[in-house]
Amino acid sequence: MAGLASAFGSGAMTNSIEEINNAKVLFVIGSNTTEQHPMIAMHMLDAVDKGATLIVADPRKTQIAGFAQIHLRQRSGTDVALLNGIINVIINEGLVDINFVKRRTENFDELEKIVMAYPPDIAEKITGVPADEIKRAARIYATEKRSMLFYSMGITQHITGVDNVRSCANLVMLTAHIGQPMTGLNPLRGQNNVQGACDMGALPDVYSGYQKVSDPKARRKFGNAWGRKLPARPGLTMIDMFDAALSGKLKAMYIMGENPAISDPDLSHLIEAVKKLDFLVVQDIFMSDTAELADVVLPAVTFAEKDGTFTNTERRVQKIRKAIRPMYGAMPDWKIISEVSKKMGYDMGYRAPHEIMEEAALLTPSYGGILHHRLDNFGLQWPCPDASHDGTPFLHRKKFAKGLGTFNPVDFAPPAESTDAEYPFILTTGRMYFRFHTGTMCKRTSTLEREEPECFVEINPKDAGRLGVKTRDRVRVLSRRGEILVNVLVTDRTPEGIVFIPFHFRDAAVNLITNPAVDPIAKIPEFKVCAVRIVPLIPKPGERQKSYYNRKEDIKILLELYEEPKV
Amino acid sequence: MKGQYVLNRAHLSYWLRQLRKNADLVGPLKSTDGDIIFSSIENIHNIELDCPASIPSPKEFIFPQKEDMFRFSDKGVSNLSNSESRVIFGVRSCDVSAITLLDRFYGGLFEDDFYMNRRRKTVFISIACNSPDPTCFCIGLGTGPFLKSGFDIQLTDLGNRYLVQVGSGEGLKIIKGFRHIFQRPKKTDYDDQYEAMLSSQSGFEKRITLETVRQKIIAGKVEDSFWESVAQRCFQCGGCVYECPLCTCFNVVDWKEAGDKGIRMRLWDTCMFKGFTKMAGNVLPAEKQIMRTKRWYFHKLLYYPEQFGKFGCVGCGRCTITCPGRIDMATIANKLD
Repeated sequence: MAGLASAFGSGAMTNSIEEINNAKVLFVIGSNTTEQHPMIAMHMLDAVDKGATLIVADPRKTQIAGFAQIHLRQRSGTDVALLNGIINVIINEGLVDINFVKRRTENFDELEKIVMAYPPDIAEKITGVPADEIKRAARIYATEKRSMLFYSMGITQHITGVDNVRSCANLVMLTAHIGQPMTGLNPLRGQNNVQGACDMGALPDVYSGYQKVSDPKARRKFGNAWGRKLPARPGLTMIDMFDAALSGKLKAMYIMGENPAISDPDLSHLIEAVKKLDFLVVQDIFMSDTAELADVVLPAVTFAEKDGTFTNTERRVQKIRKAIRPMYGAMPDWKIISEVSKKMGYDMGYRAPHEIMEEAALLTPSYGGILHHRLDNFGLQWPCPDASHDGTPFLHRKKFAKGLGTFNPVDFAPPAESTDAEYPFILTTGRMYFRFHTGTMCKRTSTLEREEPECFVEINPKDAGRLGVKTRDRVRVLSRRGEILVNVLVTDRTPEGIVFIPFHFRDAAVNLITNPAVDPIAKIPEFKVCAVRIVPLIPKPGERQKSYYNRKEDIKILLELYEEPKV
Repeated sequence: MKGQYVLNRAHLSYWLRQLRKNADLVGPLKSTDGDIIFSSIENIHNIELDCPASIPSPKEFIFPQKEDMFRFSDKGVSNLSNSESRVIFGVRSCDVSAITLLDRFYGGLFEDDFYMNRRRKTVFISIACNSPDPTCFCIGLGTGPFLKSGFDIQLTDLGNRYLVQVGSGEGLKIIKGFRHIFQRPKKTDYDDQYEAMLSSQSGFEKRITLETVRQKIIAGKVEDSFWESVAQRCFQCGGCVYECPLCTCFNVVDWKEAGDKGIRMRLWDTCMFKGFTKMAGNVLPAEKQIMRTKRWYFHKLLYYPEQFGKFGCVGCGRCTITCPGRIDMATIANKLD
């Protein structure tokens, strides 16, 4: 988000999902699209069927990589070097759209200066991707007019997350793949409304529509609307909040619909911080791991029990409608917040969600025309400045949100933690298809739970051979922060030297061992790289593995359930 | 054939309103997003008379997605199987054909009480399809667009009137009391029906007979590399199974309320998931996607004909609409044909 904002002036998918079908080149970097955004992957496969070229950059051989003409398997955490290598080729081979760069962008010279240090062979040394592959990818991406670039958490969850996004933005502007249909820089947001939450200002430094808290004009506008003087200082990011809690500066916390007790890096540190709080409120639809630590739990309703809107990854605001009555006395989030606010002496006075939307539209220029009664027909894509506007399928058409697009050249910086003799493997974390996030919802669904009940660590066959482990063996995975026990899954999906663990599981919460180092700007933790050691748990020779139960005893108990047959 | 009648279009809503007095009336409705969904009818004029295929299929009214079977506690069990009388209006011919096959599956060698209790109290009024969807291919399978038998009541839209064909005793029962609105058909009515049938038949975009595909598979002409390429495109959404009017996979689970009390229920499941055949010790007999993909296709194309003499597909086209990987029955059959 921060990376996109500094390049273009706004952070969201620049283009639309339906354009994917007709794109000619799809460059997917750091996204397990088939598993995590299946409906978008569907359009990608359609495009590939129609002859589009698919380039995937991912250390793992994901399902979508199986359809790629070019699969770049960079070492985890070397995305900047890879992208700089590609940009280097584009500049050196004269594939830059000079007209676009001159007219619409600034700071090209700086970019050129920096990326000249990354010719393909240097990039190969850093990333492990063959120089020829880098050249091929660069040529294909740059020469085709309809090239779309996609990225997801594989790009952002690094200490260089913002740098990675900036590099993507550089690449897109350099080749003029922006401001046109079937082009653009497209971050895929995983949750149904994560875009909407950001749009509505659920970030520490902005109000809705990314209006800066530090801007006195915006502050005055919101202050007037809400009848209160608003603080000029941005709030704390989540990671900062837990640090402040640990040092005793932060006394109370109100967590809504989030389960940081599984999802955040270096969990033991986080749980210690939460325990230090004087007061913790958790608002969620189910009793979550975090809610168990709370002083007060406020039950919220699910999507089916409320009215409102969700904003999806392509900036489309869609209406949701109450299908069933709220169960067990739970309330919609807006109502809970209003009630709490009322008790604290400020009556928001909303009577229904459309009144809130009306206020959002009034105060948020990009949502100006987004009102409930206009959303019935498949919703609207922001920016939609007024009630006669039909929404915007792709951004930055004539000019960027901030005027000129800025090249933000970045140098490669290695991940916060590198491998060494003691911790020789890179651990990268991610998600899997049958699980959603920390499982607060999906683990209550028997079929989903059945499909992937246990955590595993993916190990390349060669590494597994060296370690002497096979699929289903149990191993300890240790990092400088802790250890977990998991089962082995031997697969060539994961390259040599890298192991992969999904983060969904409570019993083997991989975030006990991940690195809490964060990106200095976006404060996103480096979930994708940390150094680990793997120790197989092998039964001692000569000693038989203990059976799960004592057979003799169990059989005796079992037999008591039956009657002796009368002969 | 148990009789043919003509019903004036203006009398349709009167008839349905009368039927609703004794049974739950279900029919196709259009949601605000344009999807067609079968649901209980509040306002008869909201029924969609000429609409594309519903998603999901009307099988959910006799084989619900989630069905409470019994309640258990330390005091014993109490049956929860309930079934009310139901008239389902506006069903397509392919779906009626599917239900005929479902009857043989759930009421054949082993009689499934939960299914059969609902089935016995359900009457279907189907409408022959005058305008098939682009995804439809029932014509090649003989499961539509007009049925010769197997229906309770089949309507053919003739513009200002319907030709009503009664195909079962159950069907006859819901016509019996209304002789005043059902007239004897004239020759022109039959002529019009014949014309409607011809024009419908010419409207099919897809001409697929699964027989050639079956022969090819039996002859060993379809190699595993082909199924591998199919399996590679599977997103494991289970949509093909959930939306299929003929798929019967279910799982039985206990939902514990508190202590020893709870409800045993059954839920739709799908053989496309590797856990569907999971055994003790976490053994997965069909761990590879290709095994599951092949199993689904072989079940429909080989085992169904062996067991019931008919394909396990009625050409409704729902998997074509649903499948994100474009590996639905019609696409695959076209590739193999």
